Amino acid sequence: MEFSRPHILLADSDAKSHEAFRSFFERRGWDFAIATDASNLGQALETSAFDIVIADATMPGVSPSMLLGHVFRKRPGQALIVMGETAYSDMGFKLLRSGVTDVIAKPVDFAWLERCVEHAVSCRRNDQREKQTYAFVTCEQTEMRFSCKQLGEVQAISLPILGRLLDSQQITDTEALKIRLAVQEAVLNAVEHGNLELESRWKEEVQAEGIDKFSQIRRERLADPNFANRAVKLSISFKGEILEITIRDEGKGFLSAHRGPVPLAQNLSCSGRGMTLMTNAVDEVRFSLNGSEVTLIKYLAKQRS
Amino acid sequence: MEFPTEIVGEKGYIHITSDLDTEVAGEALRSAFNDIYDRGTRTIVLDLSGAQIINSYGIGKVLSCYQRLKADRGVLMVKPLNGFVKETFELLMLDKLLPTEK
Repeated sequence: MEFSRPHILLADSDAKSHEAFRSFFERRGWDFAIATDASNLGQALETSAFDIVIADATMPGVSPSMLLGHVFRKRPGQALIVMGETAYSDMGFKLLRSGVTDVIAKPVDFAWLERCVEHAVSCRRNDQREKQTYAFVTCEQTEMRFSCKQLGEVQAISLPILGRLLDSQQITDTEALKIRLAVQEAVLNAVEHGNLELESRWKEEVQAEGIDKFSQIRRERLADPNFANRAVKLSISFKGEILEITIRDEGKGFLSAHRGPVPLAQNLSCSGRGMTLMTNAVDEVRFSLNGSEVTLIKYLAKQRS
Repeated sequence: MEFPTEIVGEKGYIHITSDLDTEVAGEALRSAFNDIYDRGTRTIVLDLSGAQIINSYGIGKVLSCYQRLKADRGVLMVKPLNGFVKETFELLMLDKLLPTEK
């Protein structure tokens, strides 16, 4: 297994513990820094990138949830090993569910810790290689097909390509959010106005408990196989630094019934903004088949420059 | 999913702790709003700091709350906005409609 020298941050307030870890890290030839409290930990994460953080969950004045907040706010996705009095407690499982890489008991079994660190660093190196390599991908094509019922179950579509483009620095965080928003709007249109044939004006008809007619009929139609089994197809193509996402539904199209843009400042209705959000989020939006097919186009930074 | 609520003095607060872009999140907002509204509070503040994105569905739910309050001479406000949510509010001129709590 390839294992280059890891860069580790130890967050622990106990001086005796520092000695033991220092000796262990030096024997292994690993780079390390030590943070003695939450403030030091925050500063260290701001100024340097670490392969892994090993943190004591019992540092004075820092609860385990605060500790996670400190680390993940500064470094989302940071590999983090938490040391606690007992590893297999409710707190240990809660930490693992919250995104911690591993939980180990004190006093620390250094042989076990070594295996944890090697595994975490190896995974991190692989991730880094994949991200670097993706910058050289010149063409990618993905097709997806969902029924309306399935889309209701997944709630929101996540496009894996956006994560890859973001990781390889071909789009920014904001561009990724904008593309995600444009896809959501197009898929919402495809489901609601295309396949489920819902009318926007029903959103204004609010019934008991604040439930509008639109939501009520939407639920009824999602339970009706004639509507619920209609499909939405996504075709995602990335080629020559152009990202093209086509969304197609099986409805009659909504453009002929579309009332056109409403002046935003006067628009207090609960609908009619999806098109504005979609067109603002990407470089081009093309409609065909009376709106049953929408293509979102984003020219990536390299293309524009 | 539930959004935490609190009442401080005359104001009710709804802390949006996820993106406001799904039916589940929209229902959580409606439920949190009803919780405060039913207790008689008519100034309600949305704290959107936990959301990275708000789509037209989420905006529809926010405006539904706005309309219910307006019909009862109430006010819907927002805590100072950040990031892409702020950009979305400005694009749709919702920043002109919903006052920001200072």
